[in-house]
Amino acid sequence: MSRFTTALAFAGALALATAPARAHHSALMFEVEKTITVDGVVKEFQYTNPHSWLLVDVTNADGTVTTWGFEAEGPSTLRRAGIRPSDLKAGTKLTITGRPMKDGRPAAIWVEAVRADGKRFDPREGFRVR
Amino acid sequence: MMQRQAIGISGVLIGCVLLGPVSVGAQDASAEKQQMIALGIEHETAAELYEALRARAGGGRRLAWDRLPDWSGVYTRARGGITYDPDQPPGAPPTAKLTPEYQAKLQQRIEGVAQGVEWDPISTCAPPGHPRWLTEPFLKEFVVTPDQTWLINEMVNDIRRIYTDGRGHVPEEDRYPLYNGDSIGFWDGDKLVIHTNQLQAGIYQRMNPDYSDQVETVEIWQMTGDGLLEVDVWVYDPPALREPWYTKQSYARLSNDDKSLRIRYWHCGENQNNTVFETQEGATQFRDFTFTDEDDRQGDSK
Repeated sequence: MSRFTTALAFAGALALATAPARAHHSALMFEVEKTITVDGVVKEFQYTNPHSWLLVDVTNADGTVTTWGFEAEGPSTLRRAGIRPSDLKAGTKLTITGRPMKDGRPAAIWVEAVRADGKRFDPREGFRVR
Repeated sequence: MMQRQAIGISGVLIGCVLLGPVSVGAQDASAEKQQMIALGIEHETAAELYEALRARAGGGRRLAWDRLPDWSGVYTRARGGITYDPDQPPGAPPTAKLTPEYQAKLQQRIEGVAQGVEWDPISTCAPPGHPRWLTEPFLKEFVVTPDQTWLINEMVNDIRRIYTDGRGHVPEEDRYPLYNGDSIGFWDGDKLVIHTNQLQAGIYQRMNPDYSDQVETVEIWQMTGDGLLEVDVWVYDPPALREPWYTKQSYARLSNDDKSLRIRYWHCGENQNNTVFETQEGATQFRDFTFTDEDDRQGDSK
């Protein structure tokens, strides 16, 4: 296999693999290019390793409620991003954007959450070296 | 077989390594890197390079409790994200000079990703193993004592113990594959020189090559000022590499004025929502979430 061939394949695969770089598992079960944004209310903030999950209840057009899960990095990275467990307690209203799963289940990579008071929460900020 | 190039400048190169960082500009950095690459090629094995460095350092010095290098603080990887070689240009393939067999493995991995197929062995909560340990992007701590130095990665509470009390590696008949191998070292001034063997096969990172169970490394760790720990790393792995893979890794001390940034116990399996499995195709998929009603992913794993 030539190095040139590898280079071409690498360039094509790179965007898929690195856009939402995850720590412990591949992120290829999520959409890379698509995002979804929902309004909802925090049901639970699971501040856990290796990934945290923000569970958000979203009321659908027909009045039913779907619980969405938004995956982020673990506690130390969230801490470095300035996201504390107390920031997003149960009952907190927010708008959250994520990259949804390919298979249609209500889960996504957490890209950015905006609380009703306007405060923004971006987990990726936790990887900044400062 | 590893290619061997005749470069008869052993003393000069080792002298450059042990005299410390001298470069300031990009051109100097590149020249220094070329010297490091040549130094690796000059030695047939990691053990040979380690012994050459040790001889040049007069066997190394013994640290005293009242004169330990200050490596205190909480660190994270300074460059490279989760790419093994921080100097790998964006969008370019890994910089390792691979054997055809391992080049083909890398190609297969990359093509898999393009098709949405990727499985990371640490998805099971297994430790990354060394040399992948160098790349994990979380918090790190370094504990220096005269007899041992502990290199700690918060992820899965992963500690590399470097024995600097003069002991050698365990005898051949006592060896078995280890995630982080067996590491011995010596101090040359404020530089910690490490040789690691007895490692398991693994991957350098996602979208990076494999290494074999014959992999060994030599590292030189040094605090270069302003809270930056830099590490020269040579990987020797004849089945996978046509020549030793030299990289410079670095770890930055994080600002932590309120002392709130602390390394905690890392229980990788504490949240069911993080449980994934490898599909028949070799891809990664979540099992059942706690927040959905469906049991739609049971029984689909390899």
